[in-house]
Amino acid sequence: MLLHACTQSYKVPDSHLRIMDQLCLAYSTIILLLSSLLYILWRAFDYQRNRNCYLLDYVCYKPSDDRKLPTDLCSEIILRNKRLSLPDYKFLLKVAVNSGFSEETYGPRPILEGREECVTLAECFEEFDDCTFATLDELFCRTGVSPAAVDLLIVNISLFAPCPSLTSRIIHRYKMREDIKTFNLSGMGCSASLIAVDLVKNVFMSGKKRMLAVVVSSESMVHWYSGTDRSMMLSNCLFRSGGCSLMLTNDPSLKHRAKMKLKCLVRVHTGADDSAYSCAIQKEDDDGRLGVHLSKGLSKAAVRAFSANLRILAPKVLPLRELAICAFRELRQWGSRSTGKKANAPVNLKSGIEHLCLHTGGTAVIHAVEKSFGLSKYDVEPAKMTLRRWGNTSASSVWYVLSYMEAKKRLKKKDRVLMINFGTGFKCNSCLWEVLRDMKDGGAWEHCIDYYPQQNLVNPFMEKFGWINDDNVTIP
Amino acid sequence: MAVPVFQGAVKFAYRFLVNNLVTLFLATAMTAIAWTLHRLGQDNIVDYSWWLLQQKPVESLGVAFFVSLVATVYFMSRPRPVYLVDYACFKPPATCRVPSATFIEHTKLINKDEKSVQFQTRILERSGLGEETCLPPANHFIPPNATMEASRAEAQLVIFSAIDDLMKKTGLKHKDIDILVVNCSLFSPTPSLSAMIINKYKLRSNIRSFNLSGMGCSAGLISIDLARDLLQVHPRANALVVSTEIITPNFYNGNQRSMLLPNCLFRMGAAAILLSNRRREARRAKYRLTHVVRTHKGADDRAYRCVYEEEDGEGHSGISLSKDLMTIAGEALKSNITTLGPLVLPMSEQLLFVLALAGRKLVNPKWKSYLPDFKQAFEHFCIHAGGRAVIDELQKNLSLTAEHVEASRMTLHRFGNTSSSSLWYELNYIESKGRMRRGDRVWQIGFGSGFKCNSAVWKCLRTIKPTVDGPWADCIDRYPVQIPEVVRL
Repeated sequence: MLLHACTQSYKVPDSHLRIMDQLCLAYSTIILLLSSLLYILWRAFDYQRNRNCYLLDYVCYKPSDDRKLPTDLCSEIILRNKRLSLPDYKFLLKVAVNSGFSEETYGPRPILEGREECVTLAECFEEFDDCTFATLDELFCRTGVSPAAVDLLIVNISLFAPCPSLTSRIIHRYKMREDIKTFNLSGMGCSASLIAVDLVKNVFMSGKKRMLAVVVSSESMVHWYSGTDRSMMLSNCLFRSGGCSLMLTNDPSLKHRAKMKLKCLVRVHTGADDSAYSCAIQKEDDDGRLGVHLSKGLSKAAVRAFSANLRILAPKVLPLRELAICAFRELRQWGSRSTGKKANAPVNLKSGIEHLCLHTGGTAVIHAVEKSFGLSKYDVEPAKMTLRRWGNTSASSVWYVLSYMEAKKRLKKKDRVLMINFGTGFKCNSCLWEVLRDMKDGGAWEHCIDYYPQQNLVNPFMEKFGWINDDNVTIP
Repeated sequence: MAVPVFQGAVKFAYRFLVNNLVTLFLATAMTAIAWTLHRLGQDNIVDYSWWLLQQKPVESLGVAFFVSLVATVYFMSRPRPVYLVDYACFKPPATCRVPSATFIEHTKLINKDEKSVQFQTRILERSGLGEETCLPPANHFIPPNATMEASRAEAQLVIFSAIDDLMKKTGLKHKDIDILVVNCSLFSPTPSLSAMIINKYKLRSNIRSFNLSGMGCSAGLISIDLARDLLQVHPRANALVVSTEIITPNFYNGNQRSMLLPNCLFRMGAAAILLSNRRREARRAKYRLTHVVRTHKGADDRAYRCVYEEEDGEGHSGISLSKDLMTIAGEALKSNITTLGPLVLPMSEQLLFVLALAGRKLVNPKWKSYLPDFKQAFEHFCIHAGGRAVIDELQKNLSLTAEHVEASRMTLHRFGNTSSSSLWYELNYIESKGRMRRGDRVWQIGFGSGFKCNSAVWKCLRTIKPTVDGPWADCIDRYPVQIPEVVRL
């Protein structure tokens, strides 16, 4: 109609009309095509902008040597609890001796000094301050970043959440900015450090501006269970002091200084299942004493959560070839179900990653993963040696494992590192990092890396306490 | 008589002109263009356009490009809208009520120190709390039964009731929850409260859950901030935010005065809020979140210590409130509104503020600083019902009328200080009174230990009719009540 109006006023010849027609069409097509291209380019640009999460640096806490908790001191502490019977002592000593820990793990001061039944709030704060301020001071020093430049602060400590929060305590100490974004996570168990990293990643992606984040991950170990319920006594023997601080950023201009880049993060929560939810739960025993109950279903819950996590993680991490092999195996297994045969070939994790940082939950966990994935001694050595040297430091354990690999100069540019940890609830979180440059800091292992890996893993007190493994022996 | 009317007229004219400057300019420009085009005549315009396309293709293409570029950039860089679909507050059962007489009697039986009892009585007399505030069942024991089991029982009672209500109101299914954020300051069991909710409602295994603790009475707005950030990253997602404070484990057994206040003021409550970024929720959503501003004064010693958990001389732990609390709250508020002001205030107020500031800096330092009138920016105010003094202080600082702070005062009277969930009880009061109209803007202000001051600004998307359910349903007609300065007990 417009064209007709034009023709009316112009009285244009037909050939000109056709040209104008084509011109109009050409212009509209070009504009549409280029606008679509613009749109796609803009989306790609927007998607990429400040989306990557880089790990600038991390520091693991090394407590002072007067806090070492060797086996004989551990047995002394256990024996202090006069409510325990002989079978209970045997049970606990067995746990301590078979834990896979060396004589150099660290415990909290109140417990080492005999005050486990009357820990004060001030001592809880002291434990936090020792770990956090030591690691943060070193982190700020090494990265050259000023505390006032921090935009996001996350603290995760499961068993201690005072008011004001621990994030406020850090802000107060370092005089951080008023507009800082803070989150204090609590109660989330041993998997909380990866939850904190997930939170950082989400805030980076939502804000789209360049930010610096600090994550402090530790645990409050002063909560000693002083009752007689065996399922609650385990946590007394299995956990040790430790913690770490991480600095992350999405600023691409700091990429050249960053150690690793986050590729993907998978979180799985199996809390909908009652047995998974109650396998590790803080409650009072029959005498009213508070402790963390660890049930026999713990390993089963861990396996289920890990499988669920792996199902989501595998397509993101493994190469196509390995995925095809896995799919083929699944089909064969499904096909051979009728014959009753089971195909037990493990998923070849090493096809997609070079290093594995496994949560040092215990020797059983590490052994189970080693067997399920057909991993070599070399692959599980960092986790085993971390368990040996530091014990189970809860959420920060994967960072000690990473630090071992770095101190051993195993982490080279373009290597992929998979971190897995478990937590109460029951959660299994995993994340894949890509190493951006050859990492070579000694970190918390600097003073002792040359003594590792240790070949003789037998507890030196096996002789002294070896009788506990013999069920027939009784003490008069 | 004529002078105030004249002043009013001048004020109105100034505000109308400055606030609608852009609209007026555009309207004038468009009228001028339309008139010019009309004068030119339709045929001439068409001819000119064709000529332009043929003779200057590059320029016309360039202009078309530029326009589409600007439009794309504008539309693509807007953040995803975050809608508040609905929320539900826990309504405590009448069996949990703690009238003042009960409270004092219990205090006398638990606490043998006469002076502490008298102190708490005096606090209660001036607190602004009514006779229907509630404490959890464990606190009705003498002495209170502060076990982990009882704390979990209270958590299950308040949280599950609120979530059940919310699910009923919104038709939310357990498999539709993508994000879960729980905040409870003084009770953090293992597994977390978020795990407890996931277990009870059988939520999905790929849910993104976070459990915040220790962050004080302003933690509700911190959870909203976190949910908002997550909703920017995950499209078509629903976020369930649960704000509560569990009273059971936090009864203070000692005699230090600064630590006795929380016993008198804190009461049980919880709120469950459904946020979403799904476009189809926009139709039934009540509010849209426009801004969240967080301010942390922790760098300052006095601010950090003004709400502080510690042990007294006898080893009893409790939360001590310092005498500087009001001053520090005022300073934190000032910092917060310095950031919030430019985002929400109309141009007229901002201009006056800038002029006064320029005058102070350049002309005469003795000029008074102009305190912007926030009543121009908001129709409703939800001030955290931390205590009577907090509400009085804010009413004074922001020059608010009694009606503006009515929601806060009445919530304090009916429910006490329910910590982070108090803002939701206040919002529910305003809705129950039928005052919430489409387009109204609400300002929620929370204060918390650390010392933090957080603000959230919501815009009402539809006029909300008072409902027959909700915590205020059975008593809204009795409110507002006149609360005397001192109630003799």
